[in-house]
Amino acid sequence: MIRGIYAIVVLDLKRAWLDRTRLAAGLAQPLLYLFVLGAGLGGSSRLGGGQYQRFIFPGVLGLSLLFSATFAAIVIVFDRQIGFFKAVLVAPLPRAAIAYGKITSGALQAFAQGLVILPFAPLAGVRFGLTAAILLLGGMLLSAFTFSAMGVAVASRFTSTTVFPIISNAVLLPMFFLSGALYPLTSAPHWMQIATHFDPVAYGVDLMRGALLGQYFFPPLLSLAVMAGIIACLAGAAVRVFNRGEDDSSLGAAKFTWRR
Amino acid sequence: MPAVSPPSHASAPALAVRALVKHYGKVEALRGIDLQVNRGEMFALLGPNGAGKTTLFSILATLRTPTSGTAAVLGRDVVTARDEVRRLMGIVFQEPAIERRLSGRDNLLLMGLFYGLPSAQARRRAQELLTELGLAEAADRPAENISGGQRRKLELARALVTDPQILFLDEATLGLDVDARRAFWGHVRTLPASGRTVFFTTHYMEEAEVADRIALIDAGRIVALDTPQALKARLGGGIIRLETADNALARKWLTEHGFAPADSGRGLMLVQADPASVLPELLRSLPVRVERAEVTAPSLEDVFLKLTGRGLSAGNGGGPGGRGGWA
Repeated sequence: MIRGIYAIVVLDLKRAWLDRTRLAAGLAQPLLYLFVLGAGLGGSSRLGGGQYQRFIFPGVLGLSLLFSATFAAIVIVFDRQIGFFKAVLVAPLPRAAIAYGKITSGALQAFAQGLVILPFAPLAGVRFGLTAAILLLGGMLLSAFTFSAMGVAVASRFTSTTVFPIISNAVLLPMFFLSGALYPLTSAPHWMQIATHFDPVAYGVDLMRGALLGQYFFPPLLSLAVMAGIIACLAGAAVRVFNRGEDDSSLGAAKFTWRR
Repeated sequence: MPAVSPPSHASAPALAVRALVKHYGKVEALRGIDLQVNRGEMFALLGPNGAGKTTLFSILATLRTPTSGTAAVLGRDVVTARDEVRRLMGIVFQEPAIERRLSGRDNLLLMGLFYGLPSAQARRRAQELLTELGLAEAADRPAENISGGQRRKLELARALVTDPQILFLDEATLGLDVDARRAFWGHVRTLPASGRTVFFTTHYMEEAEVADRIALIDAGRIVALDTPQALKARLGGGIIRLETADNALARKWLTEHGFAPADSGRGLMLVQADPASVLPELLRSLPVRVERAEVTAPSLEDVFLKLTGRGLSAGNGGGPGGRGGWA
């Protein structure tokens, strides 16, 4: 099992390394939020420009983790289209190892993307000590695993990538906006404060913000429990999907032509 | 065929298939296959599209499960001992199953890891195979930048990473030019010498000739199973090929006069014990103009056409007059 997970992670990271320019390209969106939206909105915010950027920095980290974890998961769909996965599927490794490996590799890729943003923290007025850094990295890692588990659980069900832009707009953005990444949840309308309890991204952002700024909306232990629970449930769901793929993952199932 | 029990692994045949049936909904892809392949044998599976070739192959390679019947690879049931079978087999798919963006070495290394080899051992094995198969130039280049022939060899290397006892090849050389195919089979042919069994499907008749035995499959059943020589001998004598101004009329006339014509390309083919003596009479008597007539020794292609050809309706047996009564 461990070897199988390791093999999947090595495969994915080797491939991701070929696309390492994506790490730089992946900076564009978060920095846009941080320094354009942040600076613009910050001026009109009660917090003031600099303070606002400091406030949304963990939110922008969450955004970056969310999107990069999801896009890492999309590789599963491409894997189904290329034949390489077929060779993997006939290897005697438990299907669960594939699911766990995919979640781990997605989380590591998202985490790396998050790390690339950290050097911009001082520019956003964020300063932190060692303890805060450790807490932050822990929060980032946990968020990365949560988002990756979400991505894998969803991506494993699809055989085409055409739905992903839709999912991105219909699921990822609402989760991001609802998470309190860009505004304090305490000042949000009551219904949003309730809805945000159902948003995994909110817990991740809240943990990271707590680590940096010391302000928590959710009790930290609740966040930890919720995210651990999400990872466990979605990993289980992904395992079920990979197990189910037995008979139709075979030789050219889609191409099977029957002439009589 | 005796049931294979687990303790007899060492003496079990490479493949033992009994009464294998596979349905897809209402479609019967396999209608009862019985088959035994010995260890160290090169075994070919031939049949037209939709004959059940891919289905049988997939079940033996643990990729699909049978509706009923059993199949065992080296004494292990393909359903109940799936992972054990997978550990013993290597498989080359019709479509590419290497990661094109990674180098040959990385592909082999990763496959080793997927089979549970420790990193160092996987790396060593990758190097061994690259050398053995003459893939030095593919070693450190992305697989998308090497030739089609090299890429297929890399697929073979991938299948051999775990030193499998049995190798499954599904149309492994589809789309390769003659030279590349020859190079590929040149290597595959050396495998049985080390006790490995090779089970393959192909569309290229000359590739099937390298097999020790060939099974012809049509409409979900095995219609013939023998050595290439014996299969060709079954046709006896030779083949007469006719292209006429009106093939339909010629076919009708031939059938009425006790021949068993089958479609062959743009014309008809007849299997005759002594074609040279029949042909002149035929040319005189046929009521249609013959545009081309040819006598050839039977090839596997002819056997294939005769047995599974589009011209033969299912269940027609050997045709009128008992000619070709082997079917």
